[in-house]
Amino acid sequence: MRVLVVEDDRETAEYICSSLRALGHVTEHAPDGKNAFLLALDGDFDVMVVDRMLPGLDGLSLVKSVRVAGVATPILFLSAMGGLNDRVDGLEAGADDYLVKPFAFSELSARLSALARRPPMQAEETRLRVADLELDLIRHSVSRSGQDIPLQPREFRLLTYLMRNADRVVTRTMLLEAVWEFNFDPNTNVVETHISRLRNKIDKPFDRPLIHTVRGAGYSLHG
Amino acid sequence: MAEALGQSGLRTSVRLSLQFSFLYAILSALVFSMAYAFTQYEVRDWVLDQMRGDAQTLAAIYDEGGAARLIARVDALAEVSFENARIYQLQDRDDSVLGGNIAQPMGTPLPAKLPAGTIRLAEPMHDEVQRYWMRETAIGPYRLIQGSGDHITGEIMEALGAALVLGYLAVIILGLIVGVRVGRLTEERITAILTTLSRVSAGQLAARVPVFDRAGNDLFRVSVRINEMLDEITRLLESQQQISNDIAHDMRTPLQRLHQRLERMSTAKAVAPEDVQASLEQTRDIIATFNALLRIAQMEAGDRQARFERRDLAPILSNVVEAFEPAAEDRDMTLAMTLPRKPLIVMGDPGLLTQLVSNIIENAIRHCPPGTAIHVTAEVASSGVILRVADDGPGIAPENRERIFRRFFRVERSRHTPGSGLGLALAKAIADMHGAALSVFDSAPGTVFEVRFARPAG
Repeated sequence: MRVLVVEDDRETAEYICSSLRALGHVTEHAPDGKNAFLLALDGDFDVMVVDRMLPGLDGLSLVKSVRVAGVATPILFLSAMGGLNDRVDGLEAGADDYLVKPFAFSELSARLSALARRPPMQAEETRLRVADLELDLIRHSVSRSGQDIPLQPREFRLLTYLMRNADRVVTRTMLLEAVWEFNFDPNTNVVETHISRLRNKIDKPFDRPLIHTVRGAGYSLHG
Repeated sequence: MAEALGQSGLRTSVRLSLQFSFLYAILSALVFSMAYAFTQYEVRDWVLDQMRGDAQTLAAIYDEGGAARLIARVDALAEVSFENARIYQLQDRDDSVLGGNIAQPMGTPLPAKLPAGTIRLAEPMHDEVQRYWMRETAIGPYRLIQGSGDHITGEIMEALGAALVLGYLAVIILGLIVGVRVGRLTEERITAILTTLSRVSAGQLAARVPVFDRAGNDLFRVSVRINEMLDEITRLLESQQQISNDIAHDMRTPLQRLHQRLERMSTAKAVAPEDVQASLEQTRDIIATFNALLRIAQMEAGDRQARFERRDLAPILSNVVEAFEPAAEDRDMTLAMTLPRKPLIVMGDPGLLTQLVSNIIENAIRHCPPGTAIHVTAEVASSGVILRVADDGPGIAPENRERIFRRFFRVERSRHTPGSGLGLALAKAIADMHGAALSVFDSAPGTVFEVRFARPAG
């Protein structure tokens, strides 16, 4: 995918760009808000990474301007400002996700993939399918190999998120935010225990596991 | 700056006391003049009363002894009148003069006052008489005319005037002395306060305003209040210092461990992937701790109230309890919840309330042994929503019950379990920010954490 990285710190920008390139992505770097604005209007990017504090046009204003100009490219805010309101301010300005510095590259990469391939809102599917696992969003039912699997509401929500992001890595914090609306990381293994219960229901009775642990990063659901 | 303040303060107090002295002088002058005027009026009244008394006596004499006795008496009175302080004339029906010491016959109508120069007397009059107060009475067929010189009253008024002026001067001088003294005292107190404040600004936090033993005085109260404020600031600074020390101390250990590991890796022939992974996890933990500290600090600065909204706590509680339920089960604990049927309305930030509840429940899960039952309950009291998280675990020693809310405080047995030691400090900061009281009680056996929310306005 094509990623626009807006970051004024050379070292951080180089770290992000080279790491993304190593994964096969194409990156473009803008060191300030004005350049970034022009690039965002011209270039056809799949996703943008924007630092909050930039010389010239600051990150918040940049995102607002880009949205006013009608660019719908998903934007991830990357910021050292982990303040109480900063996250809300960033999302209200038009960003789609928010990641606080210092961050792990695996976290950034997982979030960018989720953003870039996010299905358009209007074309929301009602049935999700991964290998022989099926999930019906309307009937709230799950089945594997034609066998009905009863799930708790929270397990259903967790599985929906994993299936929507099938073949991609989802991190613990992404799950905490999406499934439990926790904007913090509890020290207790909340995610692990729920994944374990889900596995007991959808993987254990069958030959082939679908939920995979990605070491040091998170989980991935694939056939 | 402090100097300039000091001088303007000095002028203010002296100017104020002078202004009051001036006002005092005017007021005293008014009072003294009124006293003078009233006295003058009374003295005149007294003179007229005397004349009336004389006239009545003369009328009685006429009734008893007839015209001859009356004339003789009038003449006698005129005779004994010293220096013509009193003048008399007795007229017949045809205005002819029958007796008295007034030389010319007095016409009608008789004015109430006559200047001394317009009256001719049988003998020379007193030098000081300016005017006569006149009066006339009918006794039988006769007309009695009396006059009384004003020199006696003049002398009385003169003496009174002198006394009043002297008294007035004394009062003014005394007032000025007291005023300036009070002003000076005030100025000294203000200077003392200003000096103290300058010293505190210069960094001498131990400086205090000298307090004089005179309670009730405004400046006394101000001084006491300033000292209390300085005590509070000192206390806060000391606790802030304590916190910084704690942070530095508690962060040194993980950083030291990371440093050791990296050092070992730098000299090793081949870097083991586990070492790299462990180092990454250590940095992640350190970052998480810093983030938690920053969050606490931001919450203590309290800049998020604007985003508070009316919220039902019930769905937040259900979400958190549901999230931790499997984790509790894995540790052979039970996590249950009983909520009233009515909504639990509080003012707050849903994200922060979620974290508040999580941290309290997490604390119970992490510090209680297997087999513990954790029970989350809530009630709507008249003061607002009360949330309780109770466990039947080993409890918290009384001496630790206050300390568990401090940053990095960990009960000894939990020293070696993972965790930042910031969970309850963060919960406390969130509660404080929401105007809620977070406290802990012993429930024998076990512990109850209680959050008392204030009832939302409106």
